[in-house]
Amino acid sequence: MTNRPSAIRQFAVLFVKDLRQESHTRDMLTSMGLYSLLVLVIFGAALSQSTIKSNIIQISGGLVWAMLVFTSLLGLNRSFAAEKEDAGLDGILLIPLDRSVIYLAKTASNLVFLLIVEVLACPLFYFFFLADYPLTTSLWLVVPPLFFVSLGIAGVGTLLATITSGTRGKDVLLAILFIPVIFPLLFAVVSATSVAVMGSEQLLSVYVPALALAAGYDVIMISLSWLLYGFVVTN
Amino acid sequence: MRQKQNSLPPDSLSAAIIATSLTKSFGVRKALDDVSFTLPRFGFLSVFGPNGAGKSTLLRILATLARPSQGSAHVLGHDIQEQTESLRRYIGVISHRSMLYPDLTAAENLMLYAKLYGVVDPAQRVKELLDLVELTGRRHDTVKSFSRGMTQRIAIARALVNDPELLFLDEPYSGLDPRAVEIFDQLIERVRPGKSFFMVSHDLTRGFDSATHVMVLSQGRLVFYEEKPAIDRDLFSSLYRELVGVALA
Amino acid sequence: MYKKTATSLMERLALPLLAIGALLTTGGFIMAFTTAPLVLGAGVPTPALIGDQMVANKLLFSQKIFYFHVPVALVSFIALGFTAIYGLLFLTRHDPAFDLRAKVATEIAMVFILMTMASGEMWTRYEWGVWWTWEPRLTTYFILLLLTIGYFVLRAAVEDPERRARYAAVFGIIAFVDAPVSLLVTRLVPTSIHPVVFRSDSGLPAPMLLPFLLALFGMCMVAFGLYHFRLREQVLHQRIDALKSQLED
Repeated sequence: MTNRPSAIRQFAVLFVKDLRQESHTRDMLTSMGLYSLLVLVIFGAALSQSTIKSNIIQISGGLVWAMLVFTSLLGLNRSFAAEKEDAGLDGILLIPLDRSVIYLAKTASNLVFLLIVEVLACPLFYFFFLADYPLTTSLWLVVPPLFFVSLGIAGVGTLLATITSGTRGKDVLLAILFIPVIFPLLFAVVSATSVAVMGSEQLLSVYVPALALAAGYDVIMISLSWLLYGFVVTN
Repeated sequence: MRQKQNSLPPDSLSAAIIATSLTKSFGVRKALDDVSFTLPRFGFLSVFGPNGAGKSTLLRILATLARPSQGSAHVLGHDIQEQTESLRRYIGVISHRSMLYPDLTAAENLMLYAKLYGVVDPAQRVKELLDLVELTGRRHDTVKSFSRGMTQRIAIARALVNDPELLFLDEPYSGLDPRAVEIFDQLIERVRPGKSFFMVSHDLTRGFDSATHVMVLSQGRLVFYEEKPAIDRDLFSSLYRELVGVALA
Repeated sequence: MYKKTATSLMERLALPLLAIGALLTTGGFIMAFTTAPLVLGAGVPTPALIGDQMVANKLLFSQKIFYFHVPVALVSFIALGFTAIYGLLFLTRHDPAFDLRAKVATEIAMVFILMTMASGEMWTRYEWGVWWTWEPRLTTYFILLLLTIGYFVLRAAVEDPERRARYAAVFGIIAFVDAPVSLLVTRLVPTSIHPVVFRSDSGLPAPMLLPFLLALFGMCMVAFGLYHFRLREQVLHQRIDALKSQLED
């Protein structure tokens, strides 16, 4: 006897499945966490010759995003490894279940993993590169851009990772497709982050519009991915 | 009088599968070419053919994982294109790939499916299924720690979660050792009452005995379809070579 | 047996349109250098006597590239629009002909994007003294180039033609939406961090508008002609492949 559950219930079941899988293996969080730490080490070497103190504050917004984009690429690729290993996704597709529920559940779990890694990596970035400098009072303002970009990365990235998970050379291919698509979001949010870190007075004139554009990008791209997802998984 | 497109063919309720001119093509390539057949309820159809004959394509279309380019089919009285979602409640697939999550335990995998299907008492159902495939003792072990044969047993349990009326078997024997094959056959026999089966295999030694109907596909075309009592195994093997041999040369 | 190729109206128009387009663009360029006036650029430090006139601004001869650069840029974006439209048509109708059209449209888009970037680079080198700067339009076209490269890398990475077509269609649509978003974001993110480099001019005077429009329409026709010749070549190519595989059977 079966009674078809609501879409929200199915979403929750799939979302919890990803979390449970992660709690068994800690595969995504370990690899993403280590990878972001290694990117920080590379930054350390790359910046070792720069002496002008204000420089690091100015570019820190961009550096944080460079770290997070590469880290999220790694995570997105891994998030489909378990789906493909024994064709688990095919099994899910056999269930009476709307395809967009699968998309939203995967986006949600990718978002959660990304946010967890950010909570760990951003303080580390501060510790390594900004600890010598006085904190600006507007530093808390880096949180909204972090959230908007993570949302956009998880949203578009889940669609693109589904596409590339079934192809040859999937890791490189995801980067080739993902980075140009995510570029506008990155461009918007780097300026917002930089303003927040620098604590300049341009809060209203720069920060607010940049954040609004990032939110607009998320809305457009996630709706589009949501609409197109069914075509990616069914033929 | 001509039938309307949407109304069911008259015998659709007594038939497990009615396929009419199923074709899957892309440009000039035809993976499946004008395949029509009827499988009665509680029948066991074994489809044979070499690689690339269109067996898997036919299975994927009937199991709602792919769309036909032309033609139509009713599975258990459901139009595969119009009533896809309701049909999915009544079918299950066992493939050579387990469709399980290797990092989840056996019980978690089954529970996942039970909840997604909306089984009324998921815990009870999972317990029943684990008993059926005799893996209750290992329910808390992750699937990746299982042997191929044990994984296949969990895959059977997974396909039975929604108590399907029609089971699709996609090369289920590949990678199984003789002992695992034996267990697999026993399990299928145990669940067989009240169900119809559609099996795809490239190996004539497997799945012929349990079948009630046999089909041969070659290069996307249906070249042979008979109820089995009409034919014995040796005759069938020589016939098969004759039908398919040209394509192999 | 020789089968005559069915020619549509569009196909018969391709050659004449290509010729007319070439004439129009050539005419537009000639007018750009003869009848269109020079544009006043940035102010010069001290007013100087040029010809018989006292001028306070530099006259920008380099602005002539506008009559080539802008039409080419617009056409490349229109071509990408066709990629998205044909992608959408493929996803709804499953006809491989739409996939081929989407692919050819993307090829045309890529050629025009390259021309846009090449002409743009020459201008930035001459006017701003740099080969590259992260200016909104330059950035957008760079991203567009990367997206079209991604489109073709994706196609090359998928073997199954149907999946390739579906993936390419989805990515083509995303790329087309991403492009204007990219332009919007790079222009609208407040430029207090970056210098403002473009002023907004209000409207073109008639002697400048005419050659511009000639070049724009001409360029559209050239792109259309090229698109159809490439499409015809690809269709013939496919037909040869089909005949070859028939002969092999």
